[in-house]
Amino acid sequence: MAESRIVMPGEMLVDRAERISYAYVDNGKTYSTVVGLYSEGKLVPLEGPYEPLPDDYVVGIVSEVKFSGYSVDVNCAYPAFLSSREIRERFEMGDAIFAKIISINEMRDLELSDAKKLPAGALAKVSSVKIPRIIGKKNSMIDMVQSGTGCQISAGRNGYVWIAGTGNASLAVEALRMIESQAHTHGLTDRVSAFLKGQKKE
Amino acid sequence: MGGPTENSPQLIVGGKRIDGRGMDDLRPIKIVARVLNDADGSAYIEWGKNKILAGVYGPSECIPRHDQSLYRAIVKCRYNMAPFSGAEEHGRSGPNRRSKELSKVMREAFENVIISENYPKTQIEIYVEILQSDGGTRCAALTAAAVALADAGIPMKDMLCAVAVCKIGGKMAVDPGKEEDNFGESDMPIAFSPRNGEIQLFQMDGLLTQDELQQGFALAKAASAKIRAIQVEAIRKVYEEPKNERFLLIK
Repeated sequence: MAESRIVMPGEMLVDRAERISYAYVDNGKTYSTVVGLYSEGKLVPLEGPYEPLPDDYVVGIVSEVKFSGYSVDVNCAYPAFLSSREIRERFEMGDAIFAKIISINEMRDLELSDAKKLPAGALAKVSSVKIPRIIGKKNSMIDMVQSGTGCQISAGRNGYVWIAGTGNASLAVEALRMIESQAHTHGLTDRVSAFLKGQKKE
Repeated sequence: MGGPTENSPQLIVGGKRIDGRGMDDLRPIKIVARVLNDADGSAYIEWGKNKILAGVYGPSECIPRHDQSLYRAIVKCRYNMAPFSGAEEHGRSGPNRRSKELSKVMREAFENVIISENYPKTQIEIYVEILQSDGGTRCAALTAAAVALADAGIPMKDMLCAVAVCKIGGKMAVDPGKEEDNFGESDMPIAFSPRNGEIQLFQMDGLLTQDELQQGFALAKAASAKIRAIQVEAIRKVYEEPKNERFLLIK
């Protein structure tokens, strides 16, 4: 298994023209556009804005109630709209919802569907690039944080994480920050587990 | 920059510069990345006695709407000097002609490297605050802003850095301090794209011969490699020594 290395914007990845995400070709060579981890033709950004894709599940906050639906803040530079036709519930401004992006048009407007209201809680904002690590393989990491803190955690692919329930919300946020800052390292699961166990004893 | 007068201090004493540096020595530079909670990307730089904070936001919805482009992100840049930065009487700080010019030239440099077509209809904001000024703030500010942009994950063709060269005592030297900037015979800030040596900012004050210009350019290019290494180190530290919070450590 090849070692991955941290690369900088403008750093050469390979000495030939290759199609790599987040990289560009100039004069027959391929260069990175971001700070990322590069290994064997794959470049993963270590930071960056949320790049919405259809079928992403996101956490959103209702920002405006319109005649035919709702404008939702999904931590994205582009507006997200939830049509009333797509849902059975009614929402109010400020409600937190868990929804799916069903389409993105050429103007980059997002259309949401399958929305359900989240119970009373608080919003944590993390880097969307780290969400897969926060969720973990088959929800392993997020389940561990939920059981270790007693909270109900909904992680949106957009970087919004909703923390609800009567558990230790501030501990949950600390755990999230820990995963966020160390997402690129090995042995993180064990460290997070040890951290949560250590806090529980106190 | 006023240039030397009868009462100007001697800038070269005993073959050395007034702070003891050699002609191709940079002042000490320290950069820390990811230091602000609110910004998407940030960096703090101490370059000699300059202290500068850079914060970057975006891409986010372009406000006002009429500024937006359907084809790319709009890059906005604000260079601002704090009242206590020492550059002027403190009552006269804030936006002025000079800071508007610097905001513009910095913005143009970054517009050339930020891959703005990826984010149509949005804006990317770059803010640099000069907390303490001691000559060469535009170069230090640009260098810090480039780190802040990389910290935010905004895709760029390259991470820029900048350095100035000057003519003092008839000879070319790198990285003028405040006195060298004020009383030297010429001042030339240059921003580079280290990947291919492309120039992204190039300004000049004073008079230089073609030869002197080439010498200065070579000095700047050599210095830019050292500055780039410091920028890269600052970014690596974010990942090699991860911290849960973003803050400026006072050691």
